[in-house]
Amino acid sequence: MSSAYEAAKPGGGMPISNAAFVRSTIILFIAGVFALLGIVGTSLWLVGKVQSYFTGFVEQREARRASADLLSILKDAETGQRGFIITGDPAFRAPYDDALRGVAEQKQAFADRLGGLPEYAGDAERVQQLVVEKLDELAGTVDLMLQGRQAEAIAQVKTDRGRMLMDEIRDRLGNIMDDADEQLRKGVVDTLWSAGALQWTTVIGAIAIITVLGGAIIIIVQYTRDNLAARREVELLNATLEKRVDERTEELIRANQEVQRFAYIVTHDLRAPLVNIMGFTSELQASLAAIQSYVLADGKTPSEADILEARRAAGEDLPEAIGFIRSSTKKMDGLINAILKISRDGRRELKIERVNLKNLVEAGAAAVNHQVSEADGVITIADNLPTVVSDRLSLEQVFGNLFDNAIKYRLTERPLRISITARNAGRAGFVIEFADNGRGIAPEDHERVFELFRRSGTQDKPGEGIGLAHVRSLMRNLGGDIVVKSEIGQGTTFVLRLPPDLSKVVRSMQA
Amino acid sequence: MNGLGKEVTIVMIEDDEGHARLIEKNIRRAGVHNEVVPFTSGTDALDFVLGKDRSGMASAGRFLLILLDLNLPDMSGIDILQKIKTNTHTKRLPVVILTTTDDEREIQRCYDLGANVYITKPVEYESFAHAIRQLGLFFSVIQIPESQ
Repeated sequence: MSSAYEAAKPGGGMPISNAAFVRSTIILFIAGVFALLGIVGTSLWLVGKVQSYFTGFVEQREARRASADLLSILKDAETGQRGFIITGDPAFRAPYDDALRGVAEQKQAFADRLGGLPEYAGDAERVQQLVVEKLDELAGTVDLMLQGRQAEAIAQVKTDRGRMLMDEIRDRLGNIMDDADEQLRKGVVDTLWSAGALQWTTVIGAIAIITVLGGAIIIIVQYTRDNLAARREVELLNATLEKRVDERTEELIRANQEVQRFAYIVTHDLRAPLVNIMGFTSELQASLAAIQSYVLADGKTPSEADILEARRAAGEDLPEAIGFIRSSTKKMDGLINAILKISRDGRRELKIERVNLKNLVEAGAAAVNHQVSEADGVITIADNLPTVVSDRLSLEQVFGNLFDNAIKYRLTERPLRISITARNAGRAGFVIEFADNGRGIAPEDHERVFELFRRSGTQDKPGEGIGLAHVRSLMRNLGGDIVVKSEIGQGTTFVLRLPPDLSKVVRSMQA
Repeated sequence: MNGLGKEVTIVMIEDDEGHARLIEKNIRRAGVHNEVVPFTSGTDALDFVLGKDRSGMASAGRFLLILLDLNLPDMSGIDILQKIKTNTHTKRLPVVILTTTDDEREIQRCYDLGANVYITKPVEYESFAHAIRQLGLFFSVIQIPESQ
């Protein structure tokens, strides 16, 4: 047994309900908004970072330039001083004078540029002191020269104080410039990293947005498609409504006729044994009178005729009447049981599941294999027998009955052949033909064989006339039907119509 | 019951052996002593009346009266009636329908097809016995034609 079929799932794809559609759209919308906000936020943060890197970059550059400029101008001043002291020629003093004019500005610029950079605060302060001292030293020697005291000026230079001041200035400024270079290099790396991160953020954001959009589009497309399909189904239902009403009416008329026919058959068939019971009870009474007139003669000698009558009553009439009464009650009981069986089958809850008809029919054939091979028979089952959604037990009983009938009413003069074929008849469902080469059924009995307690042809086989009536009621319960095509002496073909999905039939009946 | 001085055979087509026995008993009580040939299936009865080849030649020269029940297991009594009444050899044979059905249309249909008498079997035995005895009296006076 395969697992029970879930009747509630129509078709293949899962349709989107309105609530689910709204829910998933909102979720996607929120996801999209978050993705966008994330991208914008990250981008802003990264741009801010780049800006701050750039500002720092500019500051470092300015600081470096100010340091370089200051160094350069101090060197110029020193060069001028040395030249002047060595040559005494005022022409050599020009660089010193030029530097002296510009140095204050450079020093201020240096102080300004480095004031905002605490990391250089120590060096910057010291450099400014050193610059003042250096300028003092320079001014001192130049003054001596101007007063013509060249030897004193040279001695002053020789003290090495100027050179040491200059060396320290060079070292300190060099440090600042190296640091600034390092900072610049780091700034470039950071900026490049930020640019890269920005790029990746944009790419990831784009992917996220595309994913969200894609998801939204898929859901919308599917929802729209489902809506269209549902509308088409409604239109189709509307279009076929009239036809379906006609069909349903026809079915009702047919069912009504069937009920009448059933009632007629049942009352007739139940009445027949009742007539017997009543009749033979009266006969029993008559026989009893004959026996009584002999047994209860009370001393009177019974006449010859009385004796004969009594003997016949006791010997023949009584047993006969009792026999008929007994067989009639048995028959009534049998009829009532048969009616009960059919009624029970009609009321049995159908278990709707997937049924592979090929396997089912093969199992049915296997069950009668012994009798079939005894009759030199061959059962051919087509490969295209479909899988349907239906009630397995009903179908087993249907095919079991058909196999039994085919074997029971075979023609003994030729080997039995049974073939089961199927075809898809579209809206009408599957059509399964169960054909045998048995004795056949006369045309006037083609409907009658499906009636309760009715049989056709020579009554040389045991049976109650229930099988085919049962089969038809089973098939109609499954939303299908069964009819017969047959020719006397040629064989019989039962044509079964079966809907592919009983759950749909049940649903359309409830609709 | 006579047919040109010859004994008439009563063909009783009745699937219920109990009914057959009750009918025979009551016919006898009415003083009818003709031979009664009972059949419990339509096929056997037609074999006897129309012959295995269904030509009707089997009945040529016979004097038969047919008592027919409509509800038979193998075929409908209406079909038997139709077959007998459409056969040139047997169409004049009197057919008495004796059945449990009292359906108006069924009765009409039988007469349309040429049934001579239609009697509904009463469930109540007194009436049943009475009806059959009356039928027996009727049998004792009617003339039966010879089959051709």
